[in-house]
Amino acid sequence: MNQMNHEPYETLAATYAVGALDGQDLVDFERHLAGGCDVCQAALRESAETLATLARSRPPMIPPPAVKEELLRRIVAAPAPRRATRPRPLVWAVGTVAAVIAGAAFTGAFVATRYEARLGVMARESAALRARVEHEEAALREQLAVYRSAADLLRDPQAQVVTLRGLGPSPAATGRVIWHPANGGYLFVANLPSAPAGKAYELWTIGDAAPQPAGLFQVDASGRAAHRIAPAEGGKPVKVFAVTLEVEAGVPKPEGPMVLASAK
Amino acid sequence: MATIGADLVRQMAAGDRDAFSVFYDRYAPVVFPLILRIVRERADASDVLQEVFWEAWRDAQGYDASRGSPEAWMVMRARTRAIDRIRSTRRRGETFVAPLDENLAAAPRDSAPDAAERASNRGTIMTALDRLPEAQREVIELAYYAGLTQTEIAERIKQPLGTVKTRIRLGLERLREMVKAPS
Repeated sequence: MNQMNHEPYETLAATYAVGALDGQDLVDFERHLAGGCDVCQAALRESAETLATLARSRPPMIPPPAVKEELLRRIVAAPAPRRATRPRPLVWAVGTVAAVIAGAAFTGAFVATRYEARLGVMARESAALRARVEHEEAALREQLAVYRSAADLLRDPQAQVVTLRGLGPSPAATGRVIWHPANGGYLFVANLPSAPAGKAYELWTIGDAAPQPAGLFQVDASGRAAHRIAPAEGGKPVKVFAVTLEVEAGVPKPEGPMVLASAK
Repeated sequence: MATIGADLVRQMAAGDRDAFSVFYDRYAPVVFPLILRIVRERADASDVLQEVFWEAWRDAQGYDASRGSPEAWMVMRARTRAIDRIRSTRRRGETFVAPLDENLAAAPRDSAPDAAERASNRGTIMTALDRLPEAQREVIELAYYAGLTQTEIAERIKQPLGTVKTRIRLGLERLREMVKAPS
């Protein structure tokens, strides 16, 4: 890039360094920076050092001691910053998904705010984004934990896999229960429509006596669910697993339509 | 080039709380007056200071020594968070945080106090900023300490946008020369 073309960016770099660039100038300059301009990067670095020297040239001031005390308290209470260890493949996969989500959402956020052009706004948005990514990551980890325990359960020779078929209102629905008489198990369903507002699906274990409630669940947007099942009371044998549609709070014995059931 | 400060940040990234304590003692007294100058209220300044150092602890791993000194890293964070604070206060309309140095606001242009007088009015030592030509000092103060954007500055001082940008650039260049070779 020749000097004549670059000169306007040097003016923009100075205004950017004091945080005053706005509007189209900000959009243009950030695009220029994103293109990897070493001259502007160096100019910004030098301006930051100049402003830091300016800050240091004022008489130092000891802040209230309570600030440091509170910080040390927070640091002890919170986990240490994440270290760069070699990630395990599954964790790495979760991290990648989170990074992709972060990347996509960041691009969206950038486009949405380009005309607002305020660093403060961007900072708040990236904080919200971080919270969202952390939330999604937590959900992925939770799912991973379910799959991992289900896989562990399958390794046990006593575990059995029971197939559930869709009935009446949801013939396309399918389900599998991984069941261990002493440890309980997991129900995985697919193709089950979302429960209407105020309703939830309830699982039942049926042995020789009346059906026993085995927990409430909802399906996700793609009609899937993974549901942990507690072991049957007293380790009684379970002959049939069935799912009914009930009120959201659940009922002690089945009342609503049966949507999934295993063969006897 | 490894400095003591950069080593401290590296140790913080590895979870070393003692390093954080040293780091705080070293940089808090530098950034606290800057934050206080921007937000004006001591209680607000203490909040912002805590936020800035908390984020430094949390983001220590993201610090890249090749991109600047820890001091510049902290000063930039402190300034950004302090400006966020006064902008949100202004938006909520709770308090009007005067964006101007009172001397600047009160003094008509033709009788602006000279640099030494301004500095002594503020009860501070004269900094490089005080030695800038008035027109350049004014735009840098409005941008850096009051958080106004170039458009807002142009409206406030009734000058074209191009003039504002040029003054900022010239002022910053002169500041850079002065801090490199302090007189």
